[in-house]
Amino acid sequence: MDRELLVEIGCEEMPASWLPGLTAQLAERLGAVLAGVRLETGAPIETFSTPRRLTARVASLAERQEDHEEFVLGPPVSAAFKPDGQPTPAASGFARKHGLDVGALERTRTPKGEYLACRLQHRGRATVDVLGDVMTALLRQLSFPKQMRWDAYLDDGRGALPFGRPIRWLVLMYGGRVVPFVIRRSEGAQGPRVQDVRSGSSTYGHRFLTTSGRAGRVIRFKTFDEYRTKLIENFVILEREERDDRIRRQLEGHARRLGGRVGHQVGGESSLLREVPDLVEYPSVVAGHFAAEFLKLPEEVLTTTMVHHQHFFPVVDDAGRLKPAFLAVVNMEVEKPEVIARNAERVLAARLRDAQFFWEADRRVPLASRVEELSTILFHKGLGDYRAKAERVAALSRWIAAEALGQPGMAAAAEEAGRLVKADLATGMVRELTELQGTMGGVYAREEGLPEAVWRAVYHHYLPVGVEADAPPTCQQLGAGAVTWAAVSLADKIDSVVGMLSAGERPTGSRDPLGIRRQAQGIVRLLADLDTLTGLDARPPLASMVAEARRLLQLSSLDADPGARRVLEGFLIERVRFLMSSRGLEYEEVQAATSDEGWCLSVNVADLVARAEAVREVKTRPEFQGLAEVFRRAKNIVEREAGGPLQPAWRANVERLAEPAEHLLRATLDRVGRDAETAMVAGQPLRALTAFATLRPAVERFFADVRVVVDDAALKTARLSLLAELRDRVLQVADISILAPKAE
Amino acid sequence: MTFQDLILKLSAFWASHGCLVQQPLDLEVGAGTSHPETLFRVLGPQPWSVAYVQPSRRPDDGRFGQNPNRLFKHHQFQVILKPSPDEVQTRYLESLESCGINPRQHDIRFEEDNWESPTLGAWGIGWQVMLDGLEITQFTYFQQVGGIDLSPISCEITYGLERIAMFLQKVDNVYDLEWGGGVKYGEVRLEEEIEQSKYAFGQVRMPPAEFAALHRDLFETHYGFTGTLLDSGLIWPALEQCLKCSHLFNILDSSGSIGVSERTAYILRVRQLAVRIARARTETRPAAAESA
Repeated sequence: MDRELLVEIGCEEMPASWLPGLTAQLAERLGAVLAGVRLETGAPIETFSTPRRLTARVASLAERQEDHEEFVLGPPVSAAFKPDGQPTPAASGFARKHGLDVGALERTRTPKGEYLACRLQHRGRATVDVLGDVMTALLRQLSFPKQMRWDAYLDDGRGALPFGRPIRWLVLMYGGRVVPFVIRRSEGAQGPRVQDVRSGSSTYGHRFLTTSGRAGRVIRFKTFDEYRTKLIENFVILEREERDDRIRRQLEGHARRLGGRVGHQVGGESSLLREVPDLVEYPSVVAGHFAAEFLKLPEEVLTTTMVHHQHFFPVVDDAGRLKPAFLAVVNMEVEKPEVIARNAERVLAARLRDAQFFWEADRRVPLASRVEELSTILFHKGLGDYRAKAERVAALSRWIAAEALGQPGMAAAAEEAGRLVKADLATGMVRELTELQGTMGGVYAREEGLPEAVWRAVYHHYLPVGVEADAPPTCQQLGAGAVTWAAVSLADKIDSVVGMLSAGERPTGSRDPLGIRRQAQGIVRLLADLDTLTGLDARPPLASMVAEARRLLQLSSLDADPGARRVLEGFLIERVRFLMSSRGLEYEEVQAATSDEGWCLSVNVADLVARAEAVREVKTRPEFQGLAEVFRRAKNIVEREAGGPLQPAWRANVERLAEPAEHLLRATLDRVGRDAETAMVAGQPLRALTAFATLRPAVERFFADVRVVVDDAALKTARLSLLAELRDRVLQVADISILAPKAE
Repeated sequence: MTFQDLILKLSAFWASHGCLVQQPLDLEVGAGTSHPETLFRVLGPQPWSVAYVQPSRRPDDGRFGQNPNRLFKHHQFQVILKPSPDEVQTRYLESLESCGINPRQHDIRFEEDNWESPTLGAWGIGWQVMLDGLEITQFTYFQQVGGIDLSPISCEITYGLERIAMFLQKVDNVYDLEWGGGVKYGEVRLEEEIEQSKYAFGQVRMPPAEFAALHRDLFETHYGFTGTLLDSGLIWPALEQCLKCSHLFNILDSSGSIGVSERTAYILRVRQLAVRIARARTETRPAAAESA
């Protein structure tokens, strides 16, 4: 009979940002582990988390493992019998090991010859006997962004059990009964105050709240439903969605009473709103106020102080202006909201007083004069201080505005903004509120009355961060600063990425402490959306900007350093591919458009995206599928017989072409080639691919009527040259061979 | 509750839970972690539980007595529990209750905040404890000290005494705290804050270059002597000299006497000393235990 499986790992407070990932991981790993031990689930795996628990429930899990037949390969038949037909020691040993006679073994054919083999029948074990191994595997397989040692180990022979935070209790129940399991504590730690963690059928509620009895006491239960109900009685809301709902309802209610709405949101979402449900087990909202005089501070400073430092939600009026109030999400059923509100107000006021001090002190000195102070702040040990970086970014911004974006009229403003982008690192405000770097420089530049093209470029220069087409900034936010922003944002990031990579820095796995990957993504995103963000129709390739950046960094050119080129290309193409797939392009479309990694430097990113989109557009058309197939055939022949790009040269030995099929292909290539070139110059890869699709009949006839590989070397070259031209021309748009049906 | 009552309450609480009540390190340090009662005791296998106040100097935070929250020197109440007991969070919350903080009327939360000290080659995992949005304690499970993996794991609880006292006394300016017997914190400490801030920011009758040179020389002297003491197998005195270096570096930094690349080099040098000291302590300790 199927029964309920219930697992709860009771922890000390897990970081809020980990919980969504851990909840998903728990379901995924438990599913894989159960499948691995052949325990059939009759219901989906449900997982939950609060800061103090990770919970998994399977409403129906089989009582036994499925029976299982194992096929075991023995020695080869050739080594199994002596000339007289008697089994060799290898054969009899194999049979004995599995408790069989040699006569009972069967023979099986493998690619390496005929082998002896046997089938072993395994009877499934009872679920309760397997669950210990399931728990071990689960605890071992959960992974954390950062793990800690806590003097714990498992009896599986693999020693220490590091975890995200110490485990304080463990529920492992099947069909209402506890399945015994122990997490041991190391010898050096164990004692009266440090004990093994043993599985049980009890949990703990909210640390401070309960409807009956003593808060924090042991709570016993038999089923998941009882577990959930008793948790609610003890002020733990197990479902994240319910906590989220409760928070949103209360935030909105309080904001309405304050005559406004919840601020710092885009479309009802904000990073804070995503975080708070994972910070609490029982959320409530408390409203507080701050003195109206602080409203003289820039909105950015107020918002950052509230949101990033205090996790408070700002409140805004109908026009979006901040009101002198905030909303705090607390982990309590509040008895006296005024007590918590007063305390929260005092903390916020202290921070705002500090901010006010910096706001006044910083503005006594013009931003430009801070550039000098940047010589005391290290950018990177191999790349010097921020003073030197500011000069490089200024020069590169000027060059990009004038040359890459074709806006010489904006070059001077771009240079000024470029020099100022890092100046705020030397201000008191940014030293205190580091999240405001860039933004604050923009605010100070605005206060000083610098032109919009300058202050807006500084203000937004850290952006873009997200790859989504609607991630900030918007065209509207950039206003008159759009071109200078593009120049400065590119210059800053290209200088960092090129410089850091050349200094040997590499992001690894999920670790990117210097933000190299993030900045490379910013470059790619900005170039992909350059026209919608700035209204410019320039399509600059990265190669020239990188070359200029390397010159300013006093590095040799990429042509002289193939190793550096490879690293940069490999790194950038990954970002291009990531952007494409985040925008819904499928694997083969992405691969077709980015088969040549060198393109990420030589071809503009927007053009690469357009090519992938063009492939998506045409790939389902029937005439195109035929083209992909003949293209792959042409490509394979040329690569086998001749080699790399432009080998042999186009039109080589063209005078030797005599067959009608050859003439037809030659003429078709001339016509289609012209059309495709025109289309590519106009940035219309879809038109180019559509033109290529008309090549198919000519190519098919060529393959039907003409043999390419002939003894006459000159004729062979002439024929290969036709195919090479076909290959080269199509490859300039996309490698569509990846779209051809797989079987050769 | 006065400032001194708070210290007495916490001391009594932790003493009743098996801690030795120690005294502050009689040297200039940036945090209670530098005290050998933490730095040395968390190394090696011997259990140890201790609590003490540590006046902690952060030259860069000096505000000439003008900032109501920031101080050149503040006071930490430091607790080390080795091994870390299973009930450590509950004990900690009880300690707050013993100081008059009723957790049912406030919002107390453990929010992720890991700790790392580059100069000590040390790091740990833990939280900052928030009381109605105010950070009152740093709570850390030490993982490494001096680059050495720790076993068993110690728990360090560091209370910010001024902040908790301000919370309890409901004052917005640290100098308005009642230290004890009607005497204000300002009466006890304001003069010192003003003078120490002036010193930390190099406001001394001496040209800045000379000020810098003097402190560099002092650093080198203590740095060199640390090596000598280590070579002589005198690890406790070596730690003291190393801590002198650390503080002198902080002064060089706050007074703007060193450039950026130099800054990293100084940090690295102190770290190397700390790592050597921690290693030496771990290596000699088993022998010391045997001969005892």
